[in-house]
Amino acid sequence: MKQFEVQKLSFSYADSNKICFDSVDLSVDKGEYVVILGRSGSAKTTFLRHLKPGLAPFGKLSGKIFFNSIPINQLSETDKVSKIGFVMQDPDDQIVTDKVWHELAFGPESLGWDQKEIRAAAAEMASYFGIQNWFHRKVSSLSGGQKQLLNLASVMITKPEVLILDEPTAQLDPIAASDFLNTVRKINIELGTTIIITEHRLEEILPYANRAVVMENGRIIADDTPKKVAEKLFSEKNPMASAMPAPVRIFYGSGAEGISPLTVREGREWLEREFTVSPFVTALHEENLKDSNKKALEIRELWFRYDKDSPDILRGVDLSVEEGTLHCIVGGNGTGKSTTLKACVGICPPYRGKIKIFGRKISKFRSDKIIAKGVALLCQNPKSIFTQKTVIEELYEMTRDEETIKNIIELCDISHITDSHPYDISGGEMQRVALAKVLLRKPRLLLLDEPTKGMDSFFKESFADIVMKLKESGVTVLMVSHDIEFCGRYADKVSMFFDGSIITTNTPKRFFAANSFYTTTANRMSRHIFNNAVTAEDVIELYNRNRGSRNEEI
Amino acid sequence: MGFEQCHPMVNLIYFFVVLASTLIFDHPVYLAISFITAALYCIKRRGIKGGISVVLLIPCIILFTLYYSSYNHFGITVLRSNLIGNSITLESLVYGGCLGIRAASVILWMSSVYSVFSSDKVGYLFGRLSPRFAMVFALLLRLFPRIGQEAVNINNARKGIGLSVSQGNIIARTRNAIAIFSALITVTIEYFAVAAESMRCRGAALRGRTAYSIYRFDNRDRSFVLVMFVFITSVMMAMILSQTDIVYDPYIVFTPISIMSVCFYAGYTLLCLMPLMLELWTEYCFKQLQNRASDRNGLYS
Repeated sequence: MKQFEVQKLSFSYADSNKICFDSVDLSVDKGEYVVILGRSGSAKTTFLRHLKPGLAPFGKLSGKIFFNSIPINQLSETDKVSKIGFVMQDPDDQIVTDKVWHELAFGPESLGWDQKEIRAAAAEMASYFGIQNWFHRKVSSLSGGQKQLLNLASVMITKPEVLILDEPTAQLDPIAASDFLNTVRKINIELGTTIIITEHRLEEILPYANRAVVMENGRIIADDTPKKVAEKLFSEKNPMASAMPAPVRIFYGSGAEGISPLTVREGREWLEREFTVSPFVTALHEENLKDSNKKALEIRELWFRYDKDSPDILRGVDLSVEEGTLHCIVGGNGTGKSTTLKACVGICPPYRGKIKIFGRKISKFRSDKIIAKGVALLCQNPKSIFTQKTVIEELYEMTRDEETIKNIIELCDISHITDSHPYDISGGEMQRVALAKVLLRKPRLLLLDEPTKGMDSFFKESFADIVMKLKESGVTVLMVSHDIEFCGRYADKVSMFFDGSIITTNTPKRFFAANSFYTTTANRMSRHIFNNAVTAEDVIELYNRNRGSRNEEI
Repeated sequence: MGFEQCHPMVNLIYFFVVLASTLIFDHPVYLAISFITAALYCIKRRGIKGGISVVLLIPCIILFTLYYSSYNHFGITVLRSNLIGNSITLESLVYGGCLGIRAASVILWMSSVYSVFSSDKVGYLFGRLSPRFAMVFALLLRLFPRIGQEAVNINNARKGIGLSVSQGNIIARTRNAIAIFSALITVTIEYFAVAAESMRCRGAALRGRTAYSIYRFDNRDRSFVLVMFVFITSVMMAMILSQTDIVYDPYIVFTPISIMSVCFYAGYTLLCLMPLMLELWTEYCFKQLQNRASDRNGLYS
């Protein structure tokens, strides 16, 4: 039976002539798990919001939406609330009350359930979602992953038939994201709830989805099983192909045809079939580490704690970053990565240890002196540094020099949004505007805290371009990230942070080849055949070299 | 493990009765009882900090009494004349003392109220008035700390590029502070807009809202209420029998103290001591349990 039936839906915002999406047809069966793909700005979110009454933005709308064969605006008010569940992108946006238990009870309270019903339902939800241990906690004390899980639970408590999720893991770290997506999958399998989701982390979603729908410029250009959609995207050379999981990219990138592997396991099996005999070339050549004498940043035995009696956050961090390189720090949540960056600019002054910036020791950690030395930090949430009404005013806050601003706008590719309000632009654009603002400080050492969080693969690429250009112009970049794919691809060096200090530092190839869990998908998929393939491109190159040599032999 | 574990309704009734009686009674004995018990309970709950506040309140009472009696000269029992020739009377001195003690006891009781009533309890009580009211209360409880946290976040984020309130010269600092403040206003407006959206999504606008509570009215609450009403009845009887009445002007007149009035004093004292006794009793029970457990462990080891 049909859960949703969308017929010829077109929409444009009231204040602009641009059509947001145009005659979209989509039908979703009950119990299906549907992923909607598309690059940022392809109107995925706007489309999803039309499926949830009360969230649809104002504008010109034509076409019809049926929910269980009833036009969606003729549903009873109660059904509109309870039958269709919606989880928003930012975990903090959805939470209304101050306590976990109250948040869970919010939906049922609205629907007028009595005390007993709510008590039973809240108990059930808390147990199913593993919330019982933090049932009485304040919402503000939860981690991002916990918050998003709470949002999911407090939507599920009213027993919706369909669950709509708008990039629910964009703000989460990989571990929390994968927990969350597993829970969503569990809901789909165990309760039969229909799932409609948009997401960038396709590697964890596509294998479990029944269908993938690709939106481009407000139209649906593909609607099929994930494997068929992948095939179509690659055969048409659609740019969305680059957003596919690594096994798919490797499969088609190496020139294979047909149905591709989706998961690491399938990818490994495919490679095994391709290389029944072990290949000649198993490793890519790699230049040796040149330790240049010029260090942009040297940290020696840094210790930090917030209060006299609180535990140490940093426990003897040692790090040296060479000039003109992109150095990435990876590691789990709460290990002190961000704190290290904050220590470097004096936000979290250490109580022991030394920091040298371009060879000069910073004795007293006064932040304005450090920044005057050419260090700038872009914090995790780019929104936090915006205070003006338009993007261009944000830039003018830093300098009055028109020429510099023009160059930076060009570098960061933000000329199309200079008159927008900084809160109204997309996450990826916000990150670039924030970067532009930070760059106007003319830093020689740029510190970035999880800059690729919530970016889709296209934004990541353009972001990487900017970083590469900066590197060429001599800027040293130290970046903290959860995004191991990004680090594997672009970094010059990668360090692992654990338990308040840096455990290892190496080139990405050696670093990830030495890891077996904490490594890129391409590496996990190919490590039984190749030694140091870290990115999909590496695997493709090795594959092609070996296939070439094999062909010559024959 | 104390009074805060009781149902919020019980807390509310109890504190209402105690505060109301403190405010109504003019009789020095009742006021003294209220003050002493409030002080004991405050010390029990807040430890040394409570003790310090009690000790600090006593000189305040004395000062207030002196102040009051040197500006009010009703009554006929003149004790002596002050510097400018006004007479200090016994009546105004005693009445001033009573006022001081009353104010001090209200302060002490209120500090206990503050420590007993968590935001959850207040939310529950609002919910009894109107579920919608409770919802708004919970919303505000989330929003205000969030805005404060955001202010810190914005300042820290801007510190990374040298635009915080603690960087640069005084003009730059002021400019940064204003910028951060205006950003906070924008953020607050946005919070409200997004919260409204989420609430609409989850049916906050539907009719017939209920208020869920995590509290249960259990047998201990029932017995507490029962005992409390026994004591309240005794206090009411005292009021009916004019035991609590006193007149200060023109001279002090009160019902003579008899055995019955001592009984009423005892009843009021017990009423005021109820939460303290409850807490001491639970602690005693717990200790007994622990002792027994350690005895048993000792036996087996």
